[in-house]
Amino acid sequence: MELIFSLIVNGLMLGSLYAMVSVGLTLIFGITKVINFAHGEFMMIGMMLTYIITTYLGIHPYLTLVFIVPLLFVLGILVQKYLIEPLRNSDEHVQIFATVGLSIAMINLVLMIAGSDNFNTPSSGMRHTLDLGLATVLTGQVVIMLCSIFMVGGLHLFLTRTQMGRAIRATAQNRNAAQLMGINVSRINMVTFGIGIACVGIAAVLLSPLYPVNAQTGQSFVLIAFVIVVMGGLGSITGAFFAALIIGLVDSFTGFYLGSSLKGVAVFGIFLMILIFRPSGLFGKARKLAHVS
Amino acid sequence: MNDKTISSTPARNHGGGMRWLFNKKILFFATLASLIIIPIGVGDDYIYHIFITICLFAGLSTAWNIVGGYAGQLSLGHAIYYGIGAYTGMLMLNSGVSPWISMFVGAILAAGVAVAISYPCFKLHGPFYALASIAFLEVFHVISLNWVGLTGGANGVMVPLEMGWSTMIFTERLPSLVIVFGLMSFSLAVAWVIRRSKLGFQLIATRERESAARGAAIRTVHVRLYAAAISAGLTAMLGTFHGSYLTYIEPESAFNLTFSIQIVLFALVGGLGTVFGPLYGTILLVPITELARGWLGSSAIGLHGFVYGVVLILVVLFMPDGIMSLIQRYLPSSRVRRLDASVENSVDHVPLDDINKPTRPPIGEVVLKVEHLDKHFGGLHVTNDLSFDLHKGEVLGIIGPNGAGKTTVFNMISGFLRADSGSVAVLGEDGHFISPKTPGAFARSGVGRTFQIVQPFAAMTVEENIMVGAFYRFRSVEECRKAAREIASELGLNRFLDEEARNLPIGGLKRLEVARVMAMRPRILLLDEVMAGINPADLREAIELIKVIRNSGISIIAIEHVMQAVMELSDRVIVISSGEILAQGKPEEVVKNEAVIEAYLGKEASDASNE
Repeated sequence: MELIFSLIVNGLMLGSLYAMVSVGLTLIFGITKVINFAHGEFMMIGMMLTYIITTYLGIHPYLTLVFIVPLLFVLGILVQKYLIEPLRNSDEHVQIFATVGLSIAMINLVLMIAGSDNFNTPSSGMRHTLDLGLATVLTGQVVIMLCSIFMVGGLHLFLTRTQMGRAIRATAQNRNAAQLMGINVSRINMVTFGIGIACVGIAAVLLSPLYPVNAQTGQSFVLIAFVIVVMGGLGSITGAFFAALIIGLVDSFTGFYLGSSLKGVAVFGIFLMILIFRPSGLFGKARKLAHVS
Repeated sequence: MNDKTISSTPARNHGGGMRWLFNKKILFFATLASLIIIPIGVGDDYIYHIFITICLFAGLSTAWNIVGGYAGQLSLGHAIYYGIGAYTGMLMLNSGVSPWISMFVGAILAAGVAVAISYPCFKLHGPFYALASIAFLEVFHVISLNWVGLTGGANGVMVPLEMGWSTMIFTERLPSLVIVFGLMSFSLAVAWVIRRSKLGFQLIATRERESAARGAAIRTVHVRLYAAAISAGLTAMLGTFHGSYLTYIEPESAFNLTFSIQIVLFALVGGLGTVFGPLYGTILLVPITELARGWLGSSAIGLHGFVYGVVLILVVLFMPDGIMSLIQRYLPSSRVRRLDASVENSVDHVPLDDINKPTRPPIGEVVLKVEHLDKHFGGLHVTNDLSFDLHKGEVLGIIGPNGAGKTTVFNMISGFLRADSGSVAVLGEDGHFISPKTPGAFARSGVGRTFQIVQPFAAMTVEENIMVGAFYRFRSVEECRKAAREIASELGLNRFLDEEARNLPIGGLKRLEVARVMAMRPRILLLDEVMAGINPADLREAIELIKVIRNSGISIIAIEHVMQAVMELSDRVIVISSGEILAQGKPEEVVKNEAVIEAYLGKEASDASNE
């Protein structure tokens, strides 16, 4: 019983971490309809910067948020403006390879500069264990859990309650109609991409005290993030949150019962099942058969 | 996207075309020859290695292009098949079987895996197919890591260094180069043959517009599975070779995502969907990065990846059609000449003689029986107990307000939608009624349809579009081409023959839609608003055209809003409103029917017309 409880707690902690990484990805897809294959690399860059700033300035890793989040926001805007936007009317494969190319370039740029070593950001008290009675967690994990809830809630409020949020949703629903209503769609896309990347920046900072970073770190997280985004229904932020918790639990249980090396098979097996049988996601309505006309 | 130069006819009829063919052939064969001659000439092991790498990737890229380019399924998991080939070769070599044999075992194995993977995924498009292929790659990666008994896990597999042709392991590099060159040439030959064969056209048609391809009796799932199997088989053969060349293989390098992406990258840089693009792309990129790695040594970790990433970004931004588009532009092309020739040879005209001949056959027996069709979309009852017949040689007009369910009826009598209940029976050529279920089955039973929203195969030329329609009637591509030209000239599309369909104006697209379906020689023709949105002059022409078709004995059902056409063409009109038949009869009777006026214009209008 104690074991089950501790696996559940661990799964939820892991899940909220995955949620933080995934919300930006699903937001970007929902609005710009582009799958950002370089999403994980932005996180990796964020973690690298957190490491550099904390070790050189000796400040608490969380303080780097004030620098890293705006920086990644701007980076996101630039990527949207100079890479994604010009390809808006191109074939699908061209859009895919644009972000794939960006991802490869970023990974290898970091490899050239920093090599393939692991970098450990100082834990700064975030690795203290908290005893919950039946299970133990790290302080950093609790922070991530709370922040992921705030992040999902905040994004939800932003999208439903603010004028900008409404404009973003209108763009997602119908780009041309939104444009006719006077919404500057390119600007909306830039802001969305920026917010999406800023979200993964927050995730990067909060993760840094708990996980070492190397050039490949983004890859391992982004594959899971894809699983979550598809599972939650592409573009759905709350869907992604719950999908992330589910994947966290699957990860935790299969990791324990099948061993950490085989848990990938379980996660990707689920992913393929969903892609094939419920491409609209676990929570989305089944897609209507688009009838030919 | 498609390889226009290959699909053009041999230019032997035109003296000037010869020069073009010559140039392109020279470029190609000179390139091939240089892949062998340069390394032999230089004689350096490192140069050999670079050229072996070029041949390997050119072969892999060409193989990938069959499924990724022709069929448009962006697999990022092709390393799966490479890995299968490599492991099969290594493991069988360890049990004493020569790679020359295991190469084919691996190919068959990989083809099987490709079919098993592609079959459930054929519904997925673009990024989703790419994601699924990455997930499959991950699964294979993890399995190969954990199935230690078979693969040796993370330690990988080694083979004893027994040199010789039977083991494909050599001290010198030349034999390896010869083998991989042969395999690459084989890949190129296969890709070339496919591109010129029916399969190639069917793949591209499916990629461009799946519903229209199904309407043209293409087995869209089958053709993509063939492509996946062939592509995987070729990839595995190269994998087997590479295993022997490296003499060592492990999961990390065999089932590697970056490796997969590299394969795709070369095809993209060269020109996706072209036959020779992947070869040129590889030749351009591999030497740059290999040489850079040679010069900078181990300090260059990440360099070639960085270069690839940047090149990929630059290519998608500035040259999305790849190097082949440049070759196309700067090598003289026969296309212009052919256009002139075709304009000279045949003047566009609708054969008016036929119209003036009073040859219309009498209306014959029932050829299509629609009985009690019912269809719901959610709570909406789109089709309610709909029954009607179509007779041979008859033109049946279907009219009705927007949203009445007309197109839904069409979708059900052409197999695109399955009715909730009711039946559709088509008179087969043998005189028995059959009930086809799929669009392909309908097409084969002689029902051809057009789409309300035109569905051209955008990247194919007009000629190729029409050819796709003729495919199920003819064995050879040349016969299809001939039939396509005849139909194009009948429909006045001659001057557009070599134009890509995407460049046609809407009137031309509508005609193309009719031409493609006519190429199938249907006995029953379903026309979905072919008159909508064309100008009065074209309308006149279109009406005459349909008369010609009718007079040839084809039965027609036409959904139409243009009343002039409905009145002039229809022998009988069915009015559908809210999924039910409101009225039917001769056109002049139907338009006077009160219920019809009410459905179209409202109650007041119907009252007004009574006064």
